[in-house]
Amino acid sequence: MPDVVHESVFNLQFPFTRTLGSTLSTFFSALAQGQIIGVRTGGRVIAPPLEYDPDTGADSGTEYVKVGPKGTVSAWTWVPEPTHLHTIKNPFAFAFVTLDGADTAMIHLVDAGSESAMKPGMRVEATFKPVDERVGRIDDILAFVPAADPAPSAGAGDPWDAPAEPEITTQDSFCDLVYVDNTSAPTLLWMESLLNGKLIGQKCPVCNRTFVGPRGLCCIDAVELDESHLVDVPDRGVITNFTVITPVQYPGQLETEPFARCSILLDGTDAVMAQQSILDMPASEVRVGMHVAAVWVPEAERDVSEIGNRGWGSGGDCISGWRHTGQPDEPEENYLERMM
Amino acid sequence: MSHQPVAVVGIGQTHHKKRRGDVSIAGLVREAAVRALEDANMDWGDIDAVVLGKAPDLFEGVMKPEMYLADALGAVNKPMFRVHTAGSVGGSTGIVGSHLVSSGRHKRVLSLAFEKQSEGNAQFALGGGKSGSIGAGGAFAPFIRAYIRRSGAPEDIGWRVAVKDRLNGAKNPYAHLKLADITIDKVRESPMMWDPLHFLESCPSSDGACAVIFTDEDGGKAASKPPAWVLATAMKSEPSTFAGRDPVSPQAAHDCSDEIYKAIGVTNPREQIDCAELYVPFSWYEPMWLEAHDIAAPGEGWKMTERGDTALGGSFPVNMSGGVLSSNPIGASGLLRFAEAALQVRGQAGDHQVGGAKLAIAQAYGANAQFYAMWAVGSSLNPLG
Repeated sequence: MPDVVHESVFNLQFPFTRTLGSTLSTFFSALAQGQIIGVRTGGRVIAPPLEYDPDTGADSGTEYVKVGPKGTVSAWTWVPEPTHLHTIKNPFAFAFVTLDGADTAMIHLVDAGSESAMKPGMRVEATFKPVDERVGRIDDILAFVPAADPAPSAGAGDPWDAPAEPEITTQDSFCDLVYVDNTSAPTLLWMESLLNGKLIGQKCPVCNRTFVGPRGLCCIDAVELDESHLVDVPDRGVITNFTVITPVQYPGQLETEPFARCSILLDGTDAVMAQQSILDMPASEVRVGMHVAAVWVPEAERDVSEIGNRGWGSGGDCISGWRHTGQPDEPEENYLERMM
Repeated sequence: MSHQPVAVVGIGQTHHKKRRGDVSIAGLVREAAVRALEDANMDWGDIDAVVLGKAPDLFEGVMKPEMYLADALGAVNKPMFRVHTAGSVGGSTGIVGSHLVSSGRHKRVLSLAFEKQSEGNAQFALGGGKSGSIGAGGAFAPFIRAYIRRSGAPEDIGWRVAVKDRLNGAKNPYAHLKLADITIDKVRESPMMWDPLHFLESCPSSDGACAVIFTDEDGGKAASKPPAWVLATAMKSEPSTFAGRDPVSPQAAHDCSDEIYKAIGVTNPREQIDCAELYVPFSWYEPMWLEAHDIAAPGEGWKMTERGDTALGGSFPVNMSGGVLSSNPIGASGLLRFAEAALQVRGQAGDHQVGGAKLAIAQAYGANAQFYAMWAVGSSLNPLG
């Protein structure tokens, strides 16, 4: 039989899109051509360029200059064990590199082979991806490596004639985060009851409100609720309110057709389960007053890994939804104003 | 609690659009901030502290944007604050900024709120990054269904609000939606999104920012343009769900306006207040807030809408700017309400100006209709005489 989940794992993924604006579009378009640039503002050259003078907030203008490709390391930290998210797989340094022609340092990778090769003042040189692999992103520079010839970069500080309309104006930014959440005590009780095919709540001894599923507290009276406050609640009830949602198609969306989400007042209680789905009925036929009963997933197939600590009232993959019982609709005076 | 008078002397906002592909997030917030500085006849160096507000970081996928934006907003070596109260955050951001002046701690404070929705997807973010997001519309539609039943309002009230706010938005040069040819029929025939809400009864997703500059009494009196005086501020919260909660007319909404009215001596809001910017992301929230804030009696708010009282030329104009229904850079939407109320009492609202407005309120709400922020602004420190 499936068990409760003490650690909920949630993988958050989304393809965000950055708009770069004029200054960074100019920078990344130049980078794709193998040229690093900075901007002259406030009497110094900032590289990479910013839209504003970071010291004063003033607009930094468009006086772009070529910088690098060689530069000098001022500080660094060694990364002995790169993760799958790092762009190079061997040990490397994150370093501040002040490019020739620039007055400020940029942060990038230095691929120097070993930690002992790293020292402040070392001369390094940018290595670029092949032209056809560049996309106008900071990792178009693969890494900085120890410079073969420490002499100053040719042309550093010369003006950069930026195109009026830079080629690269956006950047993909794929978010890939894994959260591991320790399941709270009340949620473990909820998971256990769902796996046993039972709905439970916690009843506040002060106001007598029942919270389904357990929250460990009454949010009105600010008292803690524990196992002594558990009550069984029925898995049948009346739809008190609903909406039919037309799904917006975003990355990760699995719904394609309009779907109903209902508030269900559990029989004989003041407890409402919100945002429940209805089975075997077109969304357009869902109505208030309908009697419904929970449809339980077969015991062996129940799964609580998606519930998480804030899934109050979420049936996880234990209740597949709710089904009309066929009883006559409830008179409205018995459920009015009970959507929470 | 003793506190010092606070004046709004600078207001700036971006042109709100579905996608501001021409600016970075830093560029977006600076566009609003620079307009506010120009309005206040100030420079970056004149600002003593910066308050930044926006909705959840998952909207753009930039975590802790206050770190990224500190130097873009000229906050180096100055205090910087991040505010987050979901959809009400823009209002809260304004209130926090005003308190930094009213407390006597700072003389000139910039409050800025933004959202760049085009970098991500609001339904994804509101669904916690999972499939089957109900979105804000799905969360609020049941509350609206309950209001309609409770009040007995006819179904066209929501359509009327949708038309009225878009016609106002068409007069606002900064509005995202400018639907001068919108009609009741077009709203009714637009697709059903979150039953009973149609597509055209719903707010858009926008990129945009809003900035407000506060200063003290001396600064307000010396300002080159008429200031708006912050007369009262209030923020209230309540739990998202509990048995017996009334999400249609929440206690926190009532408490928020009660506190404002008491602070400035308003006993008859309908008569004493000249106009209001209320957070109406879905059409039916206009009559719901009119009732929750005692501008109309319970069950009577929709009649004000039906009679046209809330139109720009009506007896109690609501959402002169076009409201959230015309522009919705979520984090900024609350501050845009607060800024419009200030523009009105400064007499600087252009084609959407309410003639002679002396006292205006602005409100924002957020999360599961559980966070509230409100302020009252006046053309003088004592607009009720």
